[in-house]
Amino acid sequence: MAAKILPVVKLATKVTIAGGAIYVAYDSGLLGDGKEGSVTLGRAKAAIPPAVEEWVKYFGFELPATPKIEFSPLDAWNSGVQKSIHALSIAPSTVSDYTKQGLQYVKDLTK
Amino acid sequence: MSEKELGQKWDRCLADCAVKFGTGLGLGIVFSVVFFKRRTWPIVFGTGLGLGMAYSNCQNDLRSHYVLQSKVAKEQ
Repeated sequence: MAAKILPVVKLATKVTIAGGAIYVAYDSGLLGDGKEGSVTLGRAKAAIPPAVEEWVKYFGFELPATPKIEFSPLDAWNSGVQKSIHALSIAPSTVSDYTKQGLQYVKDLTK
Repeated sequence: MSEKELGQKWDRCLADCAVKFGTGLGLGIVFSVVFFKRRTWPIVFGTGLGLGMAYSNCQNDLRSHYVLQSKVAKEQ
């Protein structure tokens, strides 16, 4: 009797765990619109530091302080784009200047 | 669409991509462990689903500015 029920119980437990995971994901807005997704990301970012602090207190050891990285990928990307486009826009005049200088240098050498 | 609005849409797209990638990965891992004996393909499948959902949301969000939207008046 028990041997027959056990596989059913195992399957029911697995389905409950998987279904519960999907429900939690759906309920917290992770599977919704883009706007809900960014709201959830903001909430998660706000919730992580207190959660980490609680776990650290529970386990009783101190994590090393996270170094503050003052690097903004957005600013780096934007400045990279601006510098590349600026370089492309002045490239023809720069090349012509260098060509003139080179020709002048060669003329001076042949004098 | 103004540049500011477009920038905000792209920011939302990237955030949504990260969220859906993580969700797909997590659910893929759960399914892989629970049903599929820790094989890799459910994880890859879940991640792919998440990225696909993010792509679709992003596409709808970027196109929404140009799509005519009608509002049906509620019957009082």
